[in-house]
Amino acid sequence: MAMLEVNNIHTYYGNIHALKGVSITVEEKEIVTLIGGNGAGKTSTLRTISGLLKPRLGDIYFEGEKISDTPAHELVYKGITMVPEGRGIFARLTVFENLDMGAYSQPDRFTFDDDLDRVYQLFPRLKEREKQVSGTLSGGEQQMLATARALMANPRLLLMDEPSMGLAPILVESVFETIVEINKTGTTILLVEQNATVALSVANRGYVLQTGEIVLKDSAENLRKDEMVQKAYLGIE
Amino acid sequence: MKDLIKQGLRLGSIFGVVIIFLILFGLTSTLSDILGEFVNLESRTRTGNPGGLMILFALLSLWAGSSASASDRSNWKSALVSGVSVSLIIGLFVAAFILLVGFLDSADVEMRDYLAQLDHLSVQFLLYGRSLIAGVLITFGIFLIFGILGALLAYWYEAKQAGEVIQKQVLVLKEKALDSKLAKQYKENPRSKWIGYGLLGLVVFITPQFLGKYWNYAMGTVGIYVLMGLGLNIVVGLAGLLDLGYVAFFAIGAYTAGLLTAPAPLPLQIGFWPVLIFSIVMAAFAGILLGIPVLRMRGDYLAIVTLGFGEIIRVLIRSDMLAPYVGGPQGIRDIAGPSLFGIAFSGKAYLYLIIIAILLIILFTNYLQNSKVGRAWMAMREDETVAQAMGINTLYYKLMAFATGAAFAGLGGALFAARNQYTGPADHTLMVSINVLSLLIVGGMGSIPGVIVGAFVLKGLPEILRELDLYRLLVFGGLLVFMMIIRPEGIWPAPRRRMELHEGELDVLPPEESLVGKEG
Repeated sequence: MAMLEVNNIHTYYGNIHALKGVSITVEEKEIVTLIGGNGAGKTSTLRTISGLLKPRLGDIYFEGEKISDTPAHELVYKGITMVPEGRGIFARLTVFENLDMGAYSQPDRFTFDDDLDRVYQLFPRLKEREKQVSGTLSGGEQQMLATARALMANPRLLLMDEPSMGLAPILVESVFETIVEINKTGTTILLVEQNATVALSVANRGYVLQTGEIVLKDSAENLRKDEMVQKAYLGIE
Repeated sequence: MKDLIKQGLRLGSIFGVVIIFLILFGLTSTLSDILGEFVNLESRTRTGNPGGLMILFALLSLWAGSSASASDRSNWKSALVSGVSVSLIIGLFVAAFILLVGFLDSADVEMRDYLAQLDHLSVQFLLYGRSLIAGVLITFGIFLIFGILGALLAYWYEAKQAGEVIQKQVLVLKEKALDSKLAKQYKENPRSKWIGYGLLGLVVFITPQFLGKYWNYAMGTVGIYVLMGLGLNIVVGLAGLLDLGYVAFFAIGAYTAGLLTAPAPLPLQIGFWPVLIFSIVMAAFAGILLGIPVLRMRGDYLAIVTLGFGEIIRVLIRSDMLAPYVGGPQGIRDIAGPSLFGIAFSGKAYLYLIIIAILLIILFTNYLQNSKVGRAWMAMREDETVAQAMGINTLYYKLMAFATGAAFAGLGGALFAARNQYTGPADHTLMVSINVLSLLIVGGMGSIPGVIVGAFVLKGLPEILRELDLYRLLVFGGLLVFMMIIRPEGIWPAPRRRMELHEGELDVLPPEESLVGKEG
């Protein structure tokens, strides 16, 4: 049984048919990426999985349990956490307070210090900036914070929406290195990315989304070799 | 340096213009009389007290000097520069104005035709009864000396405080070894703070004994506004939901208490204490009832809908249709007050009752603010969607904020109705909502001491200013505008909010707020 199973979901914004039957499976311990251009429906897919949008048709199962009717705030307790698009940090709170909010769903506050240490080990930079107001962090640090905050909820499945957005190439590389590291500790990752090159370099498998439909699915290796993908998303002629 | 001078000039001209307006409206003579009486100076002219006027000018320039130096108090030189520039400008403005009217007066021009407050006598008063040159020079001198003094005093005070902050930090580092990071983030207040609270409490409890009947009543009104302010503070300040119809819950509290204890229009006449509880519950219930359909809206839409709700309640209690049940425009009379051990409450006892209610609510709010609930509200106020993603049920916590705020207003309403032994539609106008919201803004959003200061300024000051009579609202409006320019975050803001409004000046929370990350 796959960890996450998305079966033929149709999502609408009012009358606009954004997702036209998207199906995705994510196995445990995998990194799966969803690539596609602007408006392909990547973020809509992620928002539907995380409960912020409701699919009009189709179901979503997480570890065998149907979650397409579960409100967004309950998913954290089931083990799914999202790193929102554009980072979505609490800009006026300090780094520490952001991380504390990330642990909101954790019933056992005694593990807090351990979780915090774990996260700081992954992002030593955040420890240095612990009491800084997070709105004053650089773009790369904000992305770190958003990821770290999500990890404070001890997720089994981490949904990441465009972590490379607005970052310098060198930072993108380091962000993706941490993604691999997070995955090694046993967290499954579903990654939505416009930057197909880096996404496919870290992922096990990938899906290509076009105007609300999956047009291609394969291992990341095969996708990198695919002629259509090379032309449209990797910039190789 | 250049910026400091610029800031000084800007502030100086604001102060200068305001002072000229005060003179033009004749307010200076009234104020000088009050101040003169305060220090027992004998009045020498019929239009005001010259000594009082000097004190007034000195106070104003002290204030101007200290606010001018606020932008940079890192060393005494920059404080001096701000002080000099601001006081020079105010001095020039006011002295030039007095010179002008003095000159016109000596040339026998009838200014009264154009400016009702200026005649020969009042000009003499502005010159302290001396010659033109002497009077102008004295004014200029007062502004210069006290402006600079204000700036330097403010610098000195801050320097002294900075020393204390460093001492505090050392203490924190020492304590750090003992407890975990989390415990420290939501740390208890140190003992010295509690002693301070104790003294404050003592003062609060003794004061009513020395107040006359009128002041007891006025302070009671202030207290009821503190109650409502604390409630709205939860809704607006903590949860970030703009509620413009807050008076509705006040009305529900007042009317529940009224209807259940008064002989008419409903012959129930239940005792006060159970009804007090019931009023709170009713208001909270109304909060939930309104909240369920409304709280899916955000920002401005929420504000409009709540505004409408407030008006609906007022129209309903005023309507002829419901008059047989709620009293209509006449309201409800002979509302029963509380009694304890057979003794009915009178003026002073009501004030104590209100003070006790305020204390309980402050404790409760403090507890909420530092609990999981408070953190959920904070996350929600920052970003609703992300808060959801963190596992926060936003609808639930919004309802909770709404119900809690409404309950506090209900309590305020019940006390209000019982104290006045009357309540009617006129007590529950939109102005109440606006007043409560203004007191939050003036005092400082999200801050409990801010609410108290705000209520005193907004409801207490007009009582004190009653001596000014006609000018009361004018002075009051002027003060509000002035404050928004000088201190937009409120008089006693929550540290976080102060930080938001002074972006760039401070990107780390003050040490007493955030106690983590100072690894030794």
